[in-house]
Amino acid sequence: MLSMQDLSKTFTTDSVQTHALRDFTLHVNEGEFVAVTGPSGSGKTTFLNIAGLLESFNSGQYILDGHDVSHLTDSQRSKVRNEKIGFIFQNFNLIPDLNLYDNVDVPLRYRGFNGAERKRRIEEGLAQVGLSGRMKHLPSQLSGGQQQRVAIARALAGDPRFILADEPTGNLDSEMAQSVMQLLQAINQQGTTIVMVTHDPALAAQAGRNIFVQDGRVHEEASLC
Amino acid sequence: MNLSRLEIGPLWRALLRNKVGASLIAIQVAVTMAIVINSLAIVIQRDAMMQRDSGLDEDNTFYITSTGYANDFNAQVSVTDDLSRLREMPGIVNAIQINAIPISGGGWSMSLAKTPGDDVETTNTAVYMVDENALETLDLSLVAGREFTPQEIRWRQPSQPNWPSLTIITEALAKSMFDSANNALGQTVYIGDEEPMTIIGVVDQLQAPWVGWSNLEHSMLSPENMAFTSTRYLVRTQAGQRDRMMLEVEEMLSSSQSGRIIRDTTTLTETRDRSYQQHEAMITLLLTVISALLLITIAGIVGLASFSVQKRQQHIGTKRALGATQIDILRFFLLENMLISGVGIILGTLCTVGLNIALVQWFHVTPLAWYYIPAGALVLIIAGQVAVLAPAKNAASISPAMATRAI
Repeated sequence: MLSMQDLSKTFTTDSVQTHALRDFTLHVNEGEFVAVTGPSGSGKTTFLNIAGLLESFNSGQYILDGHDVSHLTDSQRSKVRNEKIGFIFQNFNLIPDLNLYDNVDVPLRYRGFNGAERKRRIEEGLAQVGLSGRMKHLPSQLSGGQQQRVAIARALAGDPRFILADEPTGNLDSEMAQSVMQLLQAINQQGTTIVMVTHDPALAAQAGRNIFVQDGRVHEEASLC
Repeated sequence: MNLSRLEIGPLWRALLRNKVGASLIAIQVAVTMAIVINSLAIVIQRDAMMQRDSGLDEDNTFYITSTGYANDFNAQVSVTDDLSRLREMPGIVNAIQINAIPISGGGWSMSLAKTPGDDVETTNTAVYMVDENALETLDLSLVAGREFTPQEIRWRQPSQPNWPSLTIITEALAKSMFDSANNALGQTVYIGDEEPMTIIGVVDQLQAPWVGWSNLEHSMLSPENMAFTSTRYLVRTQAGQRDRMMLEVEEMLSSSQSGRIIRDTTTLTETRDRSYQQHEAMITLLLTVISALLLITIAGIVGLASFSVQKRQQHIGTKRALGATQIDILRFFLLENMLISGVGIILGTLCTVGLNIALVQWFHVTPLAWYYIPAGALVLIIAGQVAVLAPAKNAASISPAMATRAI
């Protein structure tokens, strides 16, 4: 599903070179639930950005769903993101001016689905996260946990090959965090591959595999389940 | 292109939820449209007025004033002598004595009627008192009939009230009174209620002295020289000789006899500039207002779009992460501006028509031609799209990685 081999990413400013990832190697199989942990500045977010094709890398190889995505153009990367990857962000990243229906609709429009297909997927997605009765609500009218559920519905609406979750419970209280984790586990059990970046060991322990990243390298890999 | 990528519905609903900024821009577009279109229509109308042909060979024509002051000054002798000398000068096509200068702002007007009496329908016209050399000097062409003969020219004394029995009129005046030049030829018109004048010729075009007059093209020629102590000569020179001849004529007239002053040598070009000075000033003022308003509106659009991009960086990054291409983002901002401008243009159309009705009613401006509105709308849409292009490009260049950054 996801295979990174000797990936390196360097950020360069006028006077400083920062090696965010060094010879980063990781393989995630289809249907896995992988948690990526590590201290601040370890390279977790850079890994997530590269895995989600949000950022490019300097060297190495990245195979996603059987295709080498190392040298895609910007618009090709957009297409791959839209079709294969579902994103869940720590801050939910819902568009505040759009109601829940329109928020879930965002990636579906870029996919080019017709109106009826989009409607079906939006309604199913929101129903799956228990928010079908609040389609016309704005994100500001929801709790944090509910907003993250909308973000999950948005990530799932396009039937992605895998989900990248960036600290998905980072802004939630423990009860809501647990509820979101249960939802992710349910999604994983339905066959969707999930890669979750988190600094919370307790959450990481609920994933199928735990990757520890430090100084831009995969430091330790342990199967917890 | 797949229409779903346009996001018109969500965009419109989002605009309705954030009305303030968008409404201000839409109102600005509406006000700009109303003022710009009406101003532009006035500019075009004024410019068209300024481009009207006076009928004269303006580039090669000038006039000069002779004012006798000596007790023994004989106006009749002076005019006869001056015209004879002027017409003999090399470089001069012809010259006449004339009571008023076309498009100069000052002259004579009379009313003509088809029947005698003081309670009949009349048509106003400018009157030029000229001799048999008028057509060549004024660069006029006969449309019908003939010109004056030397024998038909009389002398008008100061305060003499009556009129000659013949006249030549412009085609516009002929059409106004008799529908056509040919119908007018040989007809008798009555001047000063009772005095008959027979139309012996119709000329193509000669404008009246007053450029703002609604009957600007109505002129008549009266066959007479004036025995006035102060008089004006209109001189037409050969092409390119005007400036040289002005000096020579001034010198010749000054030296040919004493007891008079030669002054106010003026070209027709200067006269046109002076007569249309107010129009020119109005055009400059309105063009300045139009430019300023467009600039302010464009600046407003750039400002709102830039602020919007700045404020929505993470949303843009999120959209990019969710699959929007750079073109999608660019198109989003162009479309957003198009929708705001569209609302502004709908309001602006109403404002434009309303303002025009007010201008027509209060200031007697010519009503706006319908095509000004779509043309103005198009200009404002293009201006809006151009204005929003730079901020939209900035937005499109925002990295999708912005989605994962904490803001």
